[in-house]
Amino acid sequence: MEGGLDAAQRDTILQSWRSLASPGAAWTGRERVAMVAEARRARRDDPVTGELDEATTRAVRTIASAPWTIRRPWVESLAADGMKMRQYVEAVGVVARAVAIDTVLESLGLDEEQLPDPEDGMPTGAVDERARRVRAWVPTVGRASIIQALSLVPSENTALETLHGALYLTYEEMSDPNSGKDLTRPQMELVAARTSAINECFY
Amino acid sequence: MLAHTELLSWSAQHAATPVDLRGVVDPTVDPLVSTGRALVSFVDAMITRPDGSVRTNLEAEVGWRGLATAAGVLGNFQMMNRVADATGMPVGTGTRRRLSSLIDDLGLDRFDHLDEGS
Repeated sequence: MEGGLDAAQRDTILQSWRSLASPGAAWTGRERVAMVAEARRARRDDPVTGELDEATTRAVRTIASAPWTIRRPWVESLAADGMKMRQYVEAVGVVARAVAIDTVLESLGLDEEQLPDPEDGMPTGAVDERARRVRAWVPTVGRASIIQALSLVPSENTALETLHGALYLTYEEMSDPNSGKDLTRPQMELVAARTSAINECFY
Repeated sequence: MLAHTELLSWSAQHAATPVDLRGVVDPTVDPLVSTGRALVSFVDAMITRPDGSVRTNLEAEVGWRGLATAAGVLGNFQMMNRVADATGMPVGTGTRRRLSSLIDDLGLDRFDHLDEGS
C-alpha cells in the first residue's frame, strides 16, 4: 500500500483492516471476516455464499451495496429474524469500515487487501448498557448523533472515530475551517458532499 | 449530504472562495471550488464506474498527495453514509429549521428517509 498515503494513514488503515478479524462484542473473528467477504461480494453483485445466516447476509449485503434503501421496518425485520441489536450495530461498523478501506485503495489504483486471518476467541460481550433508543433506529449513549451512532458497541464506535480521523479529519479538527490536508477544506467538503449525494445520504 | 454541504458553504466563506452549492447535486454545474469539476468527476467515477483516466486527470490537477486526500475523504464518507443510513441517525429539528433554505434550494428533501425516528 502506497499511493500518496502518508505513513500514519497507512498504519491506521492497516490496523483497522486487521482489527476486522478480531473477536468483537457480538461476533467472532471468523464471522466478522465472513461479513467483510460478503460485503465485497455484494458490491460486485456476486452471489451469496451462505457462510452467514440469512438475516446477517441480508444486513451485510444491504449495508454494503444499497444503504440508501434502509428503513426502520427493515431494521426491525432483522430483529424479528433473530438478529440482536448489538450484532446489527457491530455489523454496521464492520461493513462500513471494510467499504471505506476498499474504496480508498481502489480509488488510488492499489490492490485490495487480502482478507485478514480470523483471530481465535469468543465475542467479548462488551456493550454499553447505558445505550437507549431515542430518535435513531439503534440505541445510543446520550444524544442520537453520528458520532455516537455505534456507541452501543464501544469498540466499533472507537474504531470508526479512529479511521475517520485518518481518512478525513478528527472530530475536533472538523470545527476548524482552516483544517485540511493536501486539499483545501472546501475541496475536501466538496468530495464529502458529492459522495453523500451519490449515496443519497441525507444526513 | 446536508451536514457537509453546509460545511462546504462555511469553509468556502472562511477561505473567501466562491462556491456554487448546486454542483453538489448536479454534476453539470461548476461548483466553482478550485479543481471542483475534476473532484466531482473523480467521486462519480470511483463510486459508480472506477476509471483510471479520471484518477489520472485529478492527479494532474492536485498532485499525488492531493489525490490521496481525495481518496481518503471519499472512503470516509462511503463509511459514514452507511453508518448514518443503517442506524437511522436523524437530522435534528433545529438543524433542519436552520438549513431549510438550503434544503429547499437544492431539493435535498428527496433524500430524507432517516428522520422518522421518534
